[in-house]
Amino acid sequence: MITGPDVRLFADDPMEFFGGSRHAMHTMPPHDLAALQLAALRLRFTELRDRLPVLRAMADEQGIDGITRLDDAAPLLFPHTIYKSYPASLLLEGRFDRLTTWLSRLVTVDLSGLDVSGCDSIDGWLDLLDGRTELRLAHSSGTSGTMSFIPHTREQYTRLYDIVRLEVLPGPERSGERLDVVWPGFRTGRSGIDRHAAAMAERIAGSPDRFHSAHPGPLSADVMFLAARLRAAAARGEAGRMEIPATLRERRAEFEEAQRAAAAGMGRYVEELAERLAGRRVVSLSLWATYHEMAAAGLVRGIEGLFAPDSVIFPGGGAKGTALPADWAGDVERFAGVPALRYCYAMAEVIALNLICPRGRYHIEPWVVLYVLDPDTGAPLPREGTRTGRAAFFDLLADVCWGGFVSGDEVTVDWSPCGCGRTTPHLSMDIGRYSDRRGDDKITCAATPEALNDALDFLNGALL
Amino acid sequence: MGAPTIPAFVRGETVWDDPVAFGGTGEACAFRAPDPVALLDRLPLTDPLRMRDLAEITTSDVVDYLAELGPRLRLSVNGFLREALEHSAAWSDMTPEVLAACYEQLPSLFTPEAVRAVAEGTVGARFLDGWQEVASPGGGTAAVRAVGARAVHVIAGNSPIIAAITIIRNALVRGDAVIKTPANDPLTAVAVARTMAETAPGHPLTRHLAVAYWKGGNAAVEDRLYQPGNIDKIVAWGGLASVRHVTRYIQPGVELVTLDPKLSATIVGAEAFADEASMAETARLAAVDVGALNQLGCFNARVVHVVTGLDAAGLERAERWGELLHREILRLPAAVSTPARWFDPELRASLRALRTSPDWYRVIGGHDDEGAVVVSRVAEPVDFHTALSGRVANVVPVASPRDALKAMNAYTQTVGVYPESLKRRLRDLLPLYGVQRLVSLGYATRFRPDVPQDAMEPVRRMVKWIVDESCSPGDVHPLGHLDRRAEPWGRS
Repeated sequence: MITGPDVRLFADDPMEFFGGSRHAMHTMPPHDLAALQLAALRLRFTELRDRLPVLRAMADEQGIDGITRLDDAAPLLFPHTIYKSYPASLLLEGRFDRLTTWLSRLVTVDLSGLDVSGCDSIDGWLDLLDGRTELRLAHSSGTSGTMSFIPHTREQYTRLYDIVRLEVLPGPERSGERLDVVWPGFRTGRSGIDRHAAAMAERIAGSPDRFHSAHPGPLSADVMFLAARLRAAAARGEAGRMEIPATLRERRAEFEEAQRAAAAGMGRYVEELAERLAGRRVVSLSLWATYHEMAAAGLVRGIEGLFAPDSVIFPGGGAKGTALPADWAGDVERFAGVPALRYCYAMAEVIALNLICPRGRYHIEPWVVLYVLDPDTGAPLPREGTRTGRAAFFDLLADVCWGGFVSGDEVTVDWSPCGCGRTTPHLSMDIGRYSDRRGDDKITCAATPEALNDALDFLNGALL
Repeated sequence: MGAPTIPAFVRGETVWDDPVAFGGTGEACAFRAPDPVALLDRLPLTDPLRMRDLAEITTSDVVDYLAELGPRLRLSVNGFLREALEHSAAWSDMTPEVLAACYEQLPSLFTPEAVRAVAEGTVGARFLDGWQEVASPGGGTAAVRAVGARAVHVIAGNSPIIAAITIIRNALVRGDAVIKTPANDPLTAVAVARTMAETAPGHPLTRHLAVAYWKGGNAAVEDRLYQPGNIDKIVAWGGLASVRHVTRYIQPGVELVTLDPKLSATIVGAEAFADEASMAETARLAAVDVGALNQLGCFNARVVHVVTGLDAAGLERAERWGELLHREILRLPAAVSTPARWFDPELRASLRALRTSPDWYRVIGGHDDEGAVVVSRVAEPVDFHTALSGRVANVVPVASPRDALKAMNAYTQTVGVYPESLKRRLRDLLPLYGVQRLVSLGYATRFRPDVPQDAMEPVRRMVKWIVDESCSPGDVHPLGHLDRRAEPWGRS
């Protein structure tokens, strides 16, 4: 029997609900979990429908008044374009007042009193939102010419990393323990993956000296956006027509520093890690390609078995169209000195890591409702057996915004219990991108180094 | 119904050997065709001397040859084309109605008038038929001749007209063509070639043609085929993906002619909104540019800039015109336009997203994938404008026609303009923004093979331009161009 308070606790604080047990989270009988998820989804729909104009518009359009089955919510899962459904000129012209109005339709947080008159850059706007509200927007790389802003809250990231702590420091007796975090990227930033940096620094490292990033500086949203626009403009033969805003020209030194950092590569970083962290137990989260680059830089310098074998490395993001050598993972394991990598299936839109099990399957976290949709019609496929289709999710942790999201990923799910003992639905590691067939804007949680370098080269050229 | 087997056509002969499966998803393949690797020995013309037979053929001969072929390409009498139509669902993005209408159009491309227009409008028959004297202001004489070359044509398949026009062009320039068919139209070029073999077996124009399918980028084929010993040129249509493969093979002796993927736009001047009748008429014309051939062509309109202004009254006019446009798109006859065979789910999702953003966008229609009009409420296209397809247009209100220019770039092929007076005013300006073709509103999809294409002249680039210069010491001093003070040339 599920009670109202149970449902709320499950949705708001799954760690508490499951008694701080990762085992409990992934071994609930599937039928019970589905019932619990349905109750929590109904709770979110009831509470958010009339407070989120975007959700209300979509529900009205689809004629959906209530949810009686999990599948009823499928037409309400947001397409990724929702998060950039504003004219690009708002961003180009720095109309942060109107962007704030746009954002207010996606969140229940009251933004009416927010004074954005002092914002003259995306970074400035995000700074203000971070400082004055609980919102933590994750931005995309902006490759289509518009930048997506995906709303989350500080609380969501905190709750996620309290759960990740259970993976790396299980048991209440270790609650005070801290671990060194290896972060092979910019120290701070607000792209999908970079939002994880702050949460890891706080919940796992605990203090700045235990958080080891490759670059000391922040990764600027303005630079990423400019990089994406410059690439697009160059491809269209319009580069000569592009104007660099004065606010960006003034930040030239910062960009040059970022360029130096990006050009330096991983060599200096792995040497520093070898000096500081050899033999220590570390936790790390990054992209497949980044780890490959890092391992290559380390191995060429003779650095092998660097960390303690019980260190935890979380590679995510897949190959992202880059051609990684077949044995890249072996190189990373050899370099880091860990017997196996802990792959995660994560994305900017959903606050979960969906870690891999010993059987090589990504297990969907219980607070995330998985949907596998027909790629052409968007209709949900039956929640049983093995199915291949477009992955979509409802993140039940989302309480000030709508957690439903349709990804661009082609996944194969098995709804039956896994050989590893977990009962949560699990995905094959073979994950494709539907957009690769069309070259459409991809929501990615990381900027490509080439895009950054292009922008910075262009900026420096234009400023000389 | 199993997947059809599509033969290759090798220099007059239909080849069915060693069929292998291509295309499709999962277990099912779209079609079978001869193993391209097994064809490699016969596909190219390794000995250019064997083009000698083409030198004897005049433009009149070509005109006669194609005039005889044309009537046999009527769908009612051509079994090969009917077969192509029957199986088209396995690969084509076109609906059968629209594809059938394209096939009905084929014979008109082969009439003597049409073929002569291409010959004269592109290269000039006199250069193709013999040595043409050109002016020689420095003395002596010179003659120029356009000589056929050996080319691989990597063609696009969004319209069967592309296969037909490639065969016509190759015949006119007396070239030797290997046509690499695309997976979305593997049959039209073969069907025309087989009709040629039936009409004029053994004719040099029939024997200097090969048609085959292989997957673009298949190195086992392309490493061997794309060599200077086999070909002089590669004419590549379509997506970056296909051109990217081809660029690997560009080297001295192999020239690349690219017909890049493009998009097209529309500018509708303020005159269109002066009264109800003008609004109705321009919406009807614009609907043709958007919807004809199911918006699969590069010349189809996608973003439609309307000079309505951006005040409340202007936005209201733009929305009302958008409603008219949507209605007119739905009213297009089925032979011209139908709802898409496959509506892009990403685009459907984008339309869903914009419906929740009424401050900036109004989405008209599209609930049943029948086609839609997105009216922007600011002077900028939607960010997914390059993905507009399935009869979806974006109407963008602007204050002045010049505001529309910002959206034009090197990918802009055609711009349909209303009225004519505005087109005249814009025609010197638009090319600076990358625009390559201006047309009267409503005629964007009326392809003319006798004028330049994509801001260049592909047919002129399909031939080799050979010169023959004559001088004698009597009229031109052999050292004169090097040494102005040279002693008079006398007998030694």
